[in-house]
Amino acid sequence: MSTYTDVTKGGGQSRRSDAAEARIALAKRFAGCMFLAFVLALMIGTQEGTQDDFGYAFRKSVFAPRIGIFALIGVAVFLAVTFWPRIVPYLSRAGVRPLAAGALTVVVSFTLLNWTDSTDLNNGKFGGLRPAAAQTGGIDPVARLFFGSAFSLTPWLLLLIVVALVAAAIRFEDSSTLGYVGGGLAIVFGIWAQYAQSAVRSFLDYPDHSTGAGVALLGFVTIGVSGIVVARSHGKADSGGFFQRVYDWRPGMPLVALGAVVGLVGLFSAAWFSPTDRNAGIGLTSTMFHGTGLSGFSAAYLAWLAYVLFFATLILAGAASYLRHHLLGWVAAGLGVVSLLVTLYVMHDFSGLAAQSKFDGATGAWDNLGTGGWMLCGALTVLAGAGYLVARHEQVEVPDAAPGVSSDAALAAGSKLGPALLVVIIASALFFPPTATQFWQTVLVTEIGIYVLLAIGLNVVVGWAGLLDLGFIAFYAIGSYTTAYLTGRLPVKPPSFLELTPLAAIPFAIVICLVAGVLLGAPTLRLRGDYLAIVTLGFGEIIRVVANNSTPVTNGSRGAFNIPPPEIHIGPLDIKWGDNVLGYWYLLLVFVVIVVLLFNRLEHSRLGRAWAAIREDEVAAQATGINTVRVKLLAFAIGASTSGVAGVYFASQIGSFTPENFILNNSILVVAYVVFGGMGSLPGAMAGAAVLTWLPEFLRDQVPAEDRQMWIGAVILLMMIFRPAGLIPARRRRAELGGLDKKDSSETTAVPAGEGM
Amino acid sequence: MSTPASTGEVVYDVRNVTLRFGGVVSLNDVNLQMFRGEILAVIGPNGAGKTSLFNSLTGVYTPQEGTIMLAARAGDVPVSAIGKKTHVINHLGVARTFQNIRLFPALTALENVKVGVETRMKSGPIASMLGLPRQRREERESTERAFELLRSVGLAARANELASSLAYGEQRRLEIARALGTDPGVILLDEPAAGTNPAEKRELAALIQQINAERGVSVLLIEHDMKLVMSVAHRLVVLNFGQKIAEGSPEQIQKDPAVVAAYLGTTTEEASELVGTASVTKIDTDLDLTEGDV
Repeated sequence: MSTYTDVTKGGGQSRRSDAAEARIALAKRFAGCMFLAFVLALMIGTQEGTQDDFGYAFRKSVFAPRIGIFALIGVAVFLAVTFWPRIVPYLSRAGVRPLAAGALTVVVSFTLLNWTDSTDLNNGKFGGLRPAAAQTGGIDPVARLFFGSAFSLTPWLLLLIVVALVAAAIRFEDSSTLGYVGGGLAIVFGIWAQYAQSAVRSFLDYPDHSTGAGVALLGFVTIGVSGIVVARSHGKADSGGFFQRVYDWRPGMPLVALGAVVGLVGLFSAAWFSPTDRNAGIGLTSTMFHGTGLSGFSAAYLAWLAYVLFFATLILAGAASYLRHHLLGWVAAGLGVVSLLVTLYVMHDFSGLAAQSKFDGATGAWDNLGTGGWMLCGALTVLAGAGYLVARHEQVEVPDAAPGVSSDAALAAGSKLGPALLVVIIASALFFPPTATQFWQTVLVTEIGIYVLLAIGLNVVVGWAGLLDLGFIAFYAIGSYTTAYLTGRLPVKPPSFLELTPLAAIPFAIVICLVAGVLLGAPTLRLRGDYLAIVTLGFGEIIRVVANNSTPVTNGSRGAFNIPPPEIHIGPLDIKWGDNVLGYWYLLLVFVVIVVLLFNRLEHSRLGRAWAAIREDEVAAQATGINTVRVKLLAFAIGASTSGVAGVYFASQIGSFTPENFILNNSILVVAYVVFGGMGSLPGAMAGAAVLTWLPEFLRDQVPAEDRQMWIGAVILLMMIFRPAGLIPARRRRAELGGLDKKDSSETTAVPAGEGM
Repeated sequence: MSTPASTGEVVYDVRNVTLRFGGVVSLNDVNLQMFRGEILAVIGPNGAGKTSLFNSLTGVYTPQEGTIMLAARAGDVPVSAIGKKTHVINHLGVARTFQNIRLFPALTALENVKVGVETRMKSGPIASMLGLPRQRREERESTERAFELLRSVGLAARANELASSLAYGEQRRLEIARALGTDPGVILLDEPAAGTNPAEKRELAALIQQINAERGVSVLLIEHDMKLVMSVAHRLVVLNFGQKIAEGSPEQIQKDPAVVAAYLGTTTEEASELVGTASVTKIDTDLDLTEGDV
């Protein structure tokens, strides 16, 4: 501030001090950036010394050539920060955001993701695969060139070239040629990457679930799209985001593009049939099953029908989106669904046949399938969704502030990208898990899915009603023990007429958790904020300690075991879940979908608004006639019963558990997930739980084991600094944060705050 | 000015109410009767106990002595308001606004009013989750009623805006709409004109009269703005230091020496008995502030 006053007074003296100050600030910034680089160098690398050499890790990190790389990172950060004001104007240009996103995606695929599920190579990542591919003879030279036969930087150079081209197109506004060239090259490079990976894969010959090449393709295509956008927009500002604009222009178009990419990869590059020693694409699969007694329809599908169905759906969906034709949209959606069912049928058919003939140890249908069929299924779902969105587009629009229209509808109309994202999420939830490795399927079922369900439940209590509950896991424990009791796996047996299968225990678990929620809530809900948190924390511990010590009832610290897996026998329906992890995923998906649908309604109902009211201003809510105790109790009970359902699922999926599964740490984790995702936002809580349960498992491959928690902490810290309202903030909560800012400028202070009541 | 439109039925019967916070006497032996259909204004200098009276009437504070009988809607049997919870008193037909606005800032204007309307509805969580017909009907009814109320306070065009984004005067009116949503027999307005400009004050006066005349709601009003009070109130009660010092029509109050003394600190004998010099200066500044507002 003082510099400004100096300048207004004028005089050479002050101007010189101005420059000096600027120099000092720059020096400080440079020192800061270098320090950051130094810390980063310490973080990434050996963490511990040896017993006789405590400085080992330090020297390994610092007195090594690698420190130079980190110094360069520091300089780069310094330059980026210093020139940030000059970069800012470009950020709003068309195509900048997709360019950044695409480049980042490609970098991630080159550095973090697996390109093969290799057991031979010590590392299935790009960096590990590249030298191997470059050395191995017999690989298609075009593919080999991608991995860099002459010069190992090739893939990075490719990325650099396209990014530079598109960036130049953004910088020099008149040149649309640069944009087209960059964009076109990017798409070619993406296809090249995909082709190179599939060549290596067929050469290496083992089942493949890697995502690296696919993600690289997606990244390159995104860069390509950004190049074309830049070329077409001539430097115009890009207000409202690129995808939003495309979506406004032609709803369904982004989905059609995504469906096209995924479907093409699925049909032409991915493996359809992957027993232990091969990766057969759809063509090879067709040949393999030739003359094995595969039904004519399936044979025809593998030979040509798959292509026909996919391209017909693609063209129809594309035309419907482009022409915004409702009827075409319905037709595309219908054809997409039919093709999807046909694809599933054929996959079942040929994998079942392989299992029947005991081919390669397959135990049943759906075994040994590659990723291709599932990718095609996902693509068809996305295309059908695009068609459906086009068909329903007009109904989605709600004019602002139209009398008689529910305000929630108006709020929902605010984010038009929502439905498209929903389609992508549905497609990936249905068809991504089968393509994942056994490890990730297990993570999905035992970590991600369960915590998503728990986060949805806790979101009711913490997010909507604003009550901090640190004992949430207790209800999960109650649900689990209820299941163990009702299936007769506790020392105390239920009366014989009550002995049930796990799924039939759900209603009981719900009721018991409701009662437990009310019992806990009734005496404690008079407390506010911190006090309530402490009491609920105590409750959580009480439940765990009681479970641990009442051995005659709960089997004490040995817990319950041999809980049967869930099964359904209703009329013709006869399903028994066994060892296949994937089955549990779909069961969980059903739970999550039901709970989300119900809670979504609840959020926009009378009770949801009452929760928002007590969260925002309890005094005003009381004066408006809301029975705050009752409303809070309902939040507690509903949250608790969701947790109970999760407990039932957990108990029957895992088969055995001990009180140690219900420690305080888990309660705190769920709270962290909800806060991270966005308090009070249903998609936010789910995303928060999914990301924070996925991240530790993902980091397993990326960083030393003892550093994992630190990286997770860093992610959470960054998140709280840059997105304090959470990953996907609730509309209401966002308004609250915005509202606070606005209030300062209004005349609220006209009345002393203390006199308000 | 206007004659009380009272029917002679008593809405609030406050007898010998004393409210103490430790050694501080906030209300001292207050007697007050409010009649159905009237606009009764409570005035008095800052710290006179007006808001304490409101809070005692709505169950926020529990007076140590005295009785408060309430029969908010026509035909109600009088019940004691002392010891009842705020939301129970609200359900008995008493709605209120707050001196510093207490809306639900992250809900839209419409939703704010709906919260009020829906406290009179029945559908529970299960009906909401399953979207049962009754719940849908109630949802529709509450939206319609909320819109009707927003229209009556002139906020229909801003129904879908967040409460926090409304202008100050609009927020005041929204609070009134939310209070009316609970379908009250009595509405307690705590300084509804504070911080509003002259045009908004005129609108507000019209709104209060309209609520009183068209909806038949009895209005209990705390207000510092004398012009507004004198133009809308049928009857006034003057509090000073927790005691009622005068009661009557606007004309009577304007001439009442005790009131004049309390407000202006004139050197009449009563004035010197009632108030010390320090307080007189305080009241003076208070009055200045009030005039400044007008």
